[in-house]
Amino acid sequence: MQAPAGRRAKETRRLTLVYLGLVPFIVIAMFPIYWMAITAFKQDPDLYRMDIFPFWFHMPPTWKNFTYLFQNTYYGAWLQNTLTISAWVAGITLLTAVPAGYALARLRIPGAENIGIGIFMTYLVPGIILFLPLSRIVATLDLQDSWWALVLTYPTFTIPFCTWLLMGFFKTVPMEIEEAARVDGCGQLGAMVRVILPISLPGILTTVIFAFTLSMQDFLYGLAFVAAGDQMPIPVGVPTQLIRGDVYYWGSLMAAGLLVGLPVAILYSFFLDHFITGITGGAGK
Amino acid sequence: MTVVHRGGDPEVAAGVAAAVPPTVRPRTRSWWRRSTTRRYLFGYTLLAPAVLYVVLLVGAPFLFSLYLALSDASVADPVANFVGLENFRAALESETFILALENSIVFTVVAAIFKGLLGTALAFLLLQNFPGKKIIRGLVVIPFTLPIAISVLNWKWMYDSQFSAINWVLSRAGIIGMYGSPSWPIWLGQPELALWAVIAVNVWRTYPFSAIVLLAGFTAVPTEVLDAAKVDGCNFLQRFHHVIVPMIAPILLIGFLFDTVFTLSDLSVVYLLTQGGPANATKILPVLAYQVGIQAGALGRGAAIALFLFPPLFLLMILLLRNLKRREY
Repeated sequence: MQAPAGRRAKETRRLTLVYLGLVPFIVIAMFPIYWMAITAFKQDPDLYRMDIFPFWFHMPPTWKNFTYLFQNTYYGAWLQNTLTISAWVAGITLLTAVPAGYALARLRIPGAENIGIGIFMTYLVPGIILFLPLSRIVATLDLQDSWWALVLTYPTFTIPFCTWLLMGFFKTVPMEIEEAARVDGCGQLGAMVRVILPISLPGILTTVIFAFTLSMQDFLYGLAFVAAGDQMPIPVGVPTQLIRGDVYYWGSLMAAGLLVGLPVAILYSFFLDHFITGITGGAGK
Repeated sequence: MTVVHRGGDPEVAAGVAAAVPPTVRPRTRSWWRRSTTRRYLFGYTLLAPAVLYVVLLVGAPFLFSLYLALSDASVADPVANFVGLENFRAALESETFILALENSIVFTVVAAIFKGLLGTALAFLLLQNFPGKKIIRGLVVIPFTLPIAISVLNWKWMYDSQFSAINWVLSRAGIIGMYGSPSWPIWLGQPELALWAVIAVNVWRTYPFSAIVLLAGFTAVPTEVLDAAKVDGCNFLQRFHHVIVPMIAPILLIGFLFDTVFTLSDLSVVYLLTQGGPANATKILPVLAYQVGIQAGALGRGAAIALFLFPPLFLLMILLLRNLKRREY
C-alpha cells in the first residue's frame, strides 16, 4: 500500500501480463463447457441454425432436454448404476487400501518397500492390455451385461492408486501417536485405529473421491463388459445409447453430459494435486 | 520421528522400558521376538486383501494376455491352441496394423509436443502469485477432470459436419467459406483432417495434467537454490536450464512417460469421435485391438496387438522403479 509508485506500476504491469496470458487458457478450457451448457438448454429450432449468433439464446431456454432424459431414456438407471458402482468401488477400495497403506507405511514389515512399489506398478498397466483377459474372467463369473462386472474390475485401478496415496498420508502421522497408544495398553489394532483417525477425514475422503472420479474416467471397461442398455454407468450409456442410428440429439446428449460431468469435474479439480502427487510417487519432493 | 529411528521399533523401546530389571533380559528378548512375529503377521494380514485383489485381477490377467497372444483363442471357439508368435507375425504383415502403429506414433509424438509447450506456458503462469489464483487454476484444469466420454462427446458436437461451433467462428472470421463451400472443413470426415482433430482433443484434455506436473516440479525447487544462482549472476534462462531442469528432471520424466502410456493406450477419444475412420485415417492401436478382440471376437489377435503397447510401459516401470528406490522411505 505504501509502496513507491514505480514499484506499484511494475506490479500492476506484471499482474496485467499474467492475466492476459491466462485468458487464452481459460477460454480454451471453458469454451467447450459453455457450448455444452448452452446446447443443453436450447430448443431444437434455436440449436440447428447457422445464420444467427449460436452462442446465445434466440428462443427461451428450456428444461425439455433434461426431462426427456429421465422420461424417455435409461438415464435415471445409469445415474443410479453410476452411484451404486462408485459406492461399491469406494467400499472395496477403502477396505483393502486402508489396511494395506497402513501396513506398508507403519509396520516396517520385511519387503514393504518392494510390495508397495509392486502394488503401485499395477496401476500403470493400461486397461487396453487387460481388458481382453478380464473379459474372459467376467464371462466366466457370469457377470457380463451387468454393472457388477465394473464393481469387480474398477478396483483394479483404484486399489493400487489409493494404497499408494494412503501410504503417503499414513507416513505424515507422527510415530509418537502409536507409541503412546502402545504404552496406554492398546493392541496393534488399537494403535492402528489411533493412527487412522487423524488421517480419516482427509485421507479417506480423498480415497472415496478417487474411487468415484477414476471410475467416471473409465470408458473401455464399461464398453467392453456391459452390453445391456439399462446396466451401464453414465459415461458409457450416454455416448452409446442416446444416439439412435446415426441421429444425434445434441440437446439431450449435452444435457446428459453436463448434469453429471460438471459436478464430477469440479469435485475432481479440488483433489487434482493429490492425484499428481500420487502418480508421480512424490518424485518432486 | 527421530525418536523412532534411533531404536527401530516402538515396541522395543516400550519393551525395554517395561522390563527394567536386568534379570528378566532373556524373557524380554523372547517377548520382543514374539511381538515382532505378531507385528509381521498383523502386517501381512492387512496387506493380503489388496495384494490378492491386484494379483488376481491385474497380475493374472496380464499373464493371461500373454497366453492369449500366443494362442488362437476366439470368442466363438473357447478351446485355444498354442500358435507361437503367429499373432504377432500376422499383425506385422497386416497393412491396417502398420497404419495403426504409425498413427499411434504420430498421435503420441505430436500430442506430446503440444502438451509440452502449452503445459510449460501454463505452468509458468500458474507459478506467479495473483489474486484469484485458486479459482483460475480450478477452471483451467477442468478439461482434464471432466469425464473423458463426456468431454469427447462435446467435441464431437463441436466438430459437427454442419453445425460446428468451431466452423461458425472460423467462417465469420473469414478464414473458411460458408457451409457447403469447398473450404468448409468436415473435421472428422476428411481423412487428412481427422487425425489432427483427434490429436487436438487429446491435447485439450491432457495439457492441464502436464502443466500441473510441471508446476509440482517447479514449486519443489527450493527458493534458496534459485536465489543462490541469481546471486551468482545466472539469468532466467540459465537458471531454468542449469538449476530448474536438472532438479525437476525425475518428475518431468515420470510425468512424460505417464502421459505417453495414457495417450498410447487411450481408446476413448478416437473410438467416440471416429471409430478409427474415415478410411482408417485415425485408426490407432487401442481401437484396432478393441475391434479385433471384442467386435471380431479374435481374442488372440487382439491381445497380441494390445501387447505392442508394452515396451513403453515397461520403460516407464523401470524408470519409476529406479526413481522410487533411490528415495528415502
